[in-house]
Amino acid sequence: MTISRREMIQATAAAAAASLPLANVVPSPESQAPKPKFFTAAEFALVDELSDMIIPADAQSGGARAAGVAAFLDGRLAEAFEQDEPQRWRAGIKAVEALSQEMHSKTFMGSTSEQRLALLTRIAAAESDPKTDAEKFFGQIKGATVRVYYSSNIGIHDDQRYKGNVIQPGEYAGYDAT
Amino acid sequence: MTLIRFKASQEQDVDLSRTYDAVVVGSGAAGGMAAHVLTSQGMKVLMLEAGKKIPIEQELRSMEWPYDHPRRGEAPPGYHAIRYNEYTVRQPPYAKGSAFKHVFSYVGGWGGSDYVKNILVDEKDHPYTGTRYAWVRARLLGGKTNIWGRLALRLSDYDFKAKTHDGYGEDWPITYADLEPYYDKVDLYLGISGHKENLPHLPDSLFQRPNKLTAAEVTLRKSLATMGRTLTPYRAGVTTDGVKNRYRSKCFGRGACGRRPGGCDIHAAFDSPTGLIYPAMDTGNLTLRTNSVAHEVLVDPNTGKARGISFVDAQNHKTYEAKAKVVILAASTLESARLLLLSKSRQHPNGIGNSSGHVGHNFCEHVMGPHVTGLVKELVGVEPTPDDGKPGGFYVPRFRNLQDKQPDFIRGYGFEGGAGFSIFPHSAWNTPGFGGPFKQSVRDHAGAFISMGGFGEVLARYENYMDLDPAMKDAWGIPVLRFHYQFSDNEKKMCEDMAAAGREMFEAAGIEVVGVDKNILTEGWSIHELGTARMGADPKTSVLNQFQQSHDVKNLFVVDGSSHVSASCQNPTWTIMALAWRSCEHLADEFKRGNV
Repeated sequence: MTISRREMIQATAAAAAASLPLANVVPSPESQAPKPKFFTAAEFALVDELSDMIIPADAQSGGARAAGVAAFLDGRLAEAFEQDEPQRWRAGIKAVEALSQEMHSKTFMGSTSEQRLALLTRIAAAESDPKTDAEKFFGQIKGATVRVYYSSNIGIHDDQRYKGNVIQPGEYAGYDAT
Repeated sequence: MTLIRFKASQEQDVDLSRTYDAVVVGSGAAGGMAAHVLTSQGMKVLMLEAGKKIPIEQELRSMEWPYDHPRRGEAPPGYHAIRYNEYTVRQPPYAKGSAFKHVFSYVGGWGGSDYVKNILVDEKDHPYTGTRYAWVRARLLGGKTNIWGRLALRLSDYDFKAKTHDGYGEDWPITYADLEPYYDKVDLYLGISGHKENLPHLPDSLFQRPNKLTAAEVTLRKSLATMGRTLTPYRAGVTTDGVKNRYRSKCFGRGACGRRPGGCDIHAAFDSPTGLIYPAMDTGNLTLRTNSVAHEVLVDPNTGKARGISFVDAQNHKTYEAKAKVVILAASTLESARLLLLSKSRQHPNGIGNSSGHVGHNFCEHVMGPHVTGLVKELVGVEPTPDDGKPGGFYVPRFRNLQDKQPDFIRGYGFEGGAGFSIFPHSAWNTPGFGGPFKQSVRDHAGAFISMGGFGEVLARYENYMDLDPAMKDAWGIPVLRFHYQFSDNEKKMCEDMAAAGREMFEAAGIEVVGVDKNILTEGWSIHELGTARMGADPKTSVLNQFQQSHDVKNLFVVDGSSHVSASCQNPTWTIMALAWRSCEHLADEFKRGNV
């Protein structure tokens, strides 16, 4: 990823921050984005949206959408050697859709941003002790989002402003043992 | 800045018709040191390594960003690293019946498995049986030194004379004074980073520039000092000021050390190929044969002495013989014991060097698992600093059973730990919720955590042993090891104390304890296997003398961790090399006098 792309995303994130938090995020103009390999278009949209609600853009950095979390997960699931992992994702997405119907009589992506937030708030409430399939899916997608976002260019450089992995010809940073 | 790399000097042609002065089995810390010392004394040495020589810099890619790797460092589909719960619910062989194409030890799961998939052995080809054991093996030139954790510590007479101190087990047949000059030689030849503390139970090395500490570590160091305990910068087997060695660079604090299973592609961290083997080749006295899987020490039927090594070529599966006047095993604690047991002959019916029946017994290592995590509130929200741009965090040396006497266990443990910012904000895993507040919290807390985990001495006990499985063989048709080994009450009690003491030390320093894990990891997890061919003065209860020379066969030496009499709680690599240096210097002298 080039610097210019990073700067562009930062600019986008800053612009988006004005309408935060969790405003009605219009799916970014990803029409030229490649078709998902594992997820259906509807599944991809849900994963993309949920991941970006878990780690949204803010004044400092882009969110999970800008970091390409859903696309990375899609690629890994498409090539997965064990089938239980892809099946868990598919089943989890179904559970979220079922909950969305139950709560709002709409698909997740067909709901308003307030309704999506209400659903996410509900499944996240049981984070420490998830019971239903939708609650368990929160832990799954949050864990995946964390893993992919914080290993992304945006996560490492823009969000965490990580200072390492550079050659330090002089002293190490820090304090002497005195 | 250019990090110039030289090609290793021209390898000598292997001549199996010739009788070498010495054949060394294994190319890790011990084998590399044997090659260094013997070739510098003019001996002609053939080294056999079971694994390949791989272009290690291309493998480790220490500075590759996670997002520049197609799977963020994970291995391709079909590669599997054994998980903690697999070790706890199943018995070896762990790869049995697995649908995966390749199965690796847990080390392959440390968030960088793609970087070690050609370094670790495939469990499918290298099975073992018996009790649970997380056996991490690296079969390639340099062995585990390619990915070791780099903590480089000395033992003291609290360790060498532990029996005298508490009555348990056996003393070593040497004292600290015997080994000190060789620790010094290792320090100077290979480079070690650390800070002098003048502790009798953890002698100082001849240190190069130490690591710095983070703010949280300084807080803990100051508090521990009031308790009579020490937090010292990680003593790393890393050259921070440089050494005279054209294959190695000094450390530039690049920070990859903590985020992969070890590995340093500029070789500032010690590894056996660049630190010992390539310079030994430059003498013209070292011949290396890789892909050579030793399976028997050959015996002269007339004299009962060792006459060489029988090995299988890992690629063509043919068997060859390497002839030598002296045989030196340095295949690792467990592989050297296996090789001794495999070498049965008329003169040595229980395996060569095993008249005592102690080969494979008295196994010891380090128990680990309990660890404590704390939050330093003052550090919430501080600006990021390159805290992981150094070879390691900190070490808290043993403080139990030195002057005091614990009621529930003997011996001791130390802590390894770290604090501050790293490339991945681990706090994200434990931060509840989602959205803006979650993201902000992860950011604010990223540099505020400190954690440390204990490494404790596992007592050497005769009943903890390995023998040969009567039926199972590895991919080369060689009988595999069968484990008969479990932690005992002493280790379990010690681990309870680790967790409690860790909490107590954090609390005393005003660090908020946010997690205490009391779980003991599966046997083998520390990758510090020791014992199985211990040294001693009495040939009835030990396998080797103080020079790691077989009591039974005087031209047979075992210079790796198998010779250790007890595990101590200090990481063993530096001691393995100091002992090998001392033994091989003695061997070379005796060789010149015609005494071996």
